[in-house]
Amino acid sequence: MKGIFALARAHVIAGIREKDTLFWFLVFPLFLLTILTLIFGRLGQDPEIHFTIALIDREAASSDAAFSPSAIVRELFSSLTLSETPGERPLFSLRTPASTDALDAFQEKEIEQLRRGNRAAVLVIPPGFDRNVLQSLQAGGQSPQPSVEAGLQLYMSQTSVASETAAAIIEQILAGLDRNLLAQMGLYDEAASIDVVTEWTQQEQADSEVPYVNYVLPSIVLMGFFTTGLFGVPGTILYNREGKVLRQYWVTPLSVRQYLLGFGVGHVIFCAIQFALVLLLGRLAFGATLQFSSWHTVLLLILASATFLAFGFLITSFARSANGGMAIANILNMPMMFLSGMFFPIVGLPIFLMILVYANPVTYVLEALRQSVGIQAGTLMPWPWPVLVPLLWILVCSAVAVRRLRWDVGS
Amino acid sequence: MQADYTLKVLDLKKHYGDVHAVDGVSFDVQTGEVFTMLGPNGAGKTTTLEILEGIRVPDSGELVLFGDVMSRVSRAAKQRMGVLLQDGGFEPHLKVKEIIQLFASFFSSSRPISEVLDLVALTEKAGAQVRNLSGGQKQRMAVGVALVNDPDLIFLDEPTTGLDPQARRNLWDVIERLKADGKTLILTTHYMEEAEELSDAICIMDHGKIIASGSPHDLTASLGHETLIEFRWDDPPNDAVRVLDACCEQVRLEGERVTMETSMLPKTMAQLLQWSEETAVPLRDLRVRQPNLEDVFLSMTGRTLRE
Repeated sequence: MKGIFALARAHVIAGIREKDTLFWFLVFPLFLLTILTLIFGRLGQDPEIHFTIALIDREAASSDAAFSPSAIVRELFSSLTLSETPGERPLFSLRTPASTDALDAFQEKEIEQLRRGNRAAVLVIPPGFDRNVLQSLQAGGQSPQPSVEAGLQLYMSQTSVASETAAAIIEQILAGLDRNLLAQMGLYDEAASIDVVTEWTQQEQADSEVPYVNYVLPSIVLMGFFTTGLFGVPGTILYNREGKVLRQYWVTPLSVRQYLLGFGVGHVIFCAIQFALVLLLGRLAFGATLQFSSWHTVLLLILASATFLAFGFLITSFARSANGGMAIANILNMPMMFLSGMFFPIVGLPIFLMILVYANPVTYVLEALRQSVGIQAGTLMPWPWPVLVPLLWILVCSAVAVRRLRWDVGS
Repeated sequence: MQADYTLKVLDLKKHYGDVHAVDGVSFDVQTGEVFTMLGPNGAGKTTTLEILEGIRVPDSGELVLFGDVMSRVSRAAKQRMGVLLQDGGFEPHLKVKEIIQLFASFFSSSRPISEVLDLVALTEKAGAQVRNLSGGQKQRMAVGVALVNDPDLIFLDEPTTGLDPQARRNLWDVIERLKADGKTLILTTHYMEEAEELSDAICIMDHGKIIASGSPHDLTASLGHETLIEFRWDDPPNDAVRVLDACCEQVRLEGERVTMETSMLPKTMAQLLQWSEETAVPLRDLRVRQPNLEDVFLSMTGRTLRE
């Protein structure tokens, strides 16, 4: 027993002192987390959704009615250019013509800016808008059509994502405006319908509160474990075999089983260090809020590192040299990573690939971990499969390794 | 009287394909003796040693180790064995002290680490990583690893190869000390003087078999009472070998080196010097010596141990 722990300790110490190991298995996951969060982090967080739109009111000059929908539209969009909380950029920047501008020329210029991608949308209130709206509202009665929206001219660019998004938001705002106008005229049951807009707003807010780093962190942790297991384990053992280190163990009472156990304990400790560093960086530098402290999450992490360790043992027992081991690891690397849902969804794959997905232990530990930390609702297979399948792999791989692993090259 | 023997080897065989690396080897190693295996490369001594160290499994044969009969070395037996491999390796990023501690943990009982470091004079290097040690220091550490469990039977495979004369002499002292403590040692070496100096018993192997065994004195005495006269010549007359052969038991030629075996040294020497004077052939590096183990092997196989 003391031999197993001494081996584990030696494995961790040697790993930390060896520069290559240190880089690939401790520094690289941190590097990857930093890069991914810096590049993609802003997309998820969306701290500043912002659109520049042009609003051209061609009704303003002609309208003198007391109840003016065009004025309401103008005010509404003006209000959207104010930020709700101090220091935060508002949703829209509004471009409106100055009193000296010729409206036709201004509109033409703004549409040109839209084509170039400098505007998200151009909204025009046409002449006669107020009258049309009032007539439409009064005639529409109880079945409110998007009459305000229908009366407006909205220019957008179909090739621009920002423009499409802005248009969708404007449509929502105008639909809300319709209901407000109808309600003011006593023609609409506001309480029954207003929830649509409210719900949409709440949904947006809820999503933007989850930082991107939370989504990527479990994948980085598992990828670190995966690389350390599939590449680090065969690398270390096979280089030790070629360097006659294993031969030196062989002449002592240490058995293959004890050696693998000692190495395995060291590996799990190494993974724990790797995990702690990734989590620490995620928390301190990128504001990750994931909790890995529940006992089943901790057990899942140990299960994951043991699964990839067992695959490392399997590769080691089949490889004749360190280079051969790296080649086998590379062959297993791609399908195991890609057929797990780590990078893209696994639904709708051909049946033969789905069989591999179901056989792949990465699928299960990834899903279980994501579910355990609360960023995925369900898993591919019901409990206890997410634990049983990896356990089965651990048993099979370890049994094969204990039988097949040779202390010496060619023995 | 089983207790007198630490190891008995009975008809040990191991083959690889058609090659009979070990072909029916039997010998005894007495408790407390230094037993040396000699033989040229490929003689089968490494395979025999690896079977005895527990690295290889024999095809057939029997071992009686510490009084227990076994077909292969058991883990219990390994608890009482220490092995210095000829080509063993150590994790280069661990420190000397950590390596000794690691190996100590594999045994149920072990010497104190400081005692081991002291024994192989590495106390000052205890904190150095293996990769920063010199060849001699690494070898001393390997000896320390072999002795960490205070073994009763110690295998030393080419222990002084690559060491400078001083380091070699120091290791001889360690071996003498172990022997004085009653330990049993099995040794292989390329250095004849080392074998003669240290060994109580020697077995000489060739082609997977033991061709001679006994104490160093017995083996050299088996050649008879000849004395050897050695010299080098440059350009001898054609009939030189025939003439010299007439005045001794045997003449051997290895390139320009000549060895004459004689049981009548004064007479042979007088005749040789006279021949040299008459033919004007100078006798370079002329010396007289007693036969050694190399000569024993040569006389039995017609080849040198280094071939």
